[in-house]
Amino acid sequence: MNKFISRLIIPQETNNYKALLLRPSFLTLFIVVYLLNQQLIHTLSLIKPGILGYSSEITQQKVLDLTNQERLTQGLSELKYNPVLSLSAQKKAQDMFDNNYWAHNSPQGKTPWDFFTAAGYQYSVAGENLAKDFYNTDSVIGAWMKSPTHRDNILNPKYEEIGIGVVNGILNGIKTTLVVQHFATPLATSITTPEVPQDSVVPETVQVPQPEYTTQDFSSPVLSASKPLISPLALSKAIGGTLFVIIVSVLFIDGYLTLKNKTHRFSSSNAGHIGFLAIIFLLMIFSHSGNIF
Amino acid sequence: MMFTEIKQKPFEYLILLFLLTISAFAFIYFSYDSFIQRRVIYFSAGTYFLWSLYHHYRRGDLQPSIVIEYLLIGILGIVLLSSTLF
Repeated sequence: MNKFISRLIIPQETNNYKALLLRPSFLTLFIVVYLLNQQLIHTLSLIKPGILGYSSEITQQKVLDLTNQERLTQGLSELKYNPVLSLSAQKKAQDMFDNNYWAHNSPQGKTPWDFFTAAGYQYSVAGENLAKDFYNTDSVIGAWMKSPTHRDNILNPKYEEIGIGVVNGILNGIKTTLVVQHFATPLATSITTPEVPQDSVVPETVQVPQPEYTTQDFSSPVLSASKPLISPLALSKAIGGTLFVIIVSVLFIDGYLTLKNKTHRFSSSNAGHIGFLAIIFLLMIFSHSGNIF
Repeated sequence: MMFTEIKQKPFEYLILLFLLTISAFAFIYFSYDSFIQRRVIYFSAGTYFLWSLYHHYRRGDLQPSIVIEYLLIGILGIVLLSSTLF
């Protein structure tokens, strides 16, 4: 057993002076193991929905505040909160959970504009921003501001009103929070604060905004009561990091002993491998969760 | 060990450092766009593989087993990053 472990990590005569873990067969094994692990995480999320997921501290109030803060820094007017637009945004988020999709248009062919009109909002111009898997509001707004198209929505001078949906649920087996921004300017003839339709479907986890938004309390995180057990990203990072540590450690040992024993062999560049894998590892570790659309 | 390798061919490792740095910055810069990020990962692995061909050709030891090893390390990098994040 010890001999086998030694052959795995130490270059010697029995492994032709190259650690077995650095040979193509073991590198292929690493790739297969990691892919299987990712597939296992995906399968687990489908078999036991809600075990994996992203906890969130996002609040509607903070999304509104930070959005208006970005507009003010650009010399634009603040967007006025509209509860009907918020209902439209919440319905859109709930529709994505119900029909298990992540896009502006639903698989049934519903466009974002269908949600505006279904909520009773008549618009002259309108826009939609989507986000998921983010931990806090600052990172959501930060990601949108980095994207030219989402930034254009936030900083569009044509928009006068905004509605925000922050809804938690399970998407593709992963517990997450969806954030939807609906921007619009009402038609001149329309009523800006129409009543919420009586037959509207209201997500249970979301507080329904009242028409008088100034008295609305929506500052609490929506997901605080039901945090998922494990973040799939953290789990993948942990396993990927372990693989990285194993391979890089063996590369160091292999390189050191080859130099020390003055072994002459045709071999790849350990320094190159370590440099490339180190960049991949750093990008993997410092990447955060969160997607926008 | 690493430094000995680098000292022997500093210019080639400088090229590698440049390519990897460009890739890292591009990956971070396009952090809002997973489509472009995926392409950056492929670009990074692809340029690493091409660099290895150049490096070993210049060293005079461009062997099939070495080429396969770089190919697998490149694929491992793609798998580690893309299947974790996307």
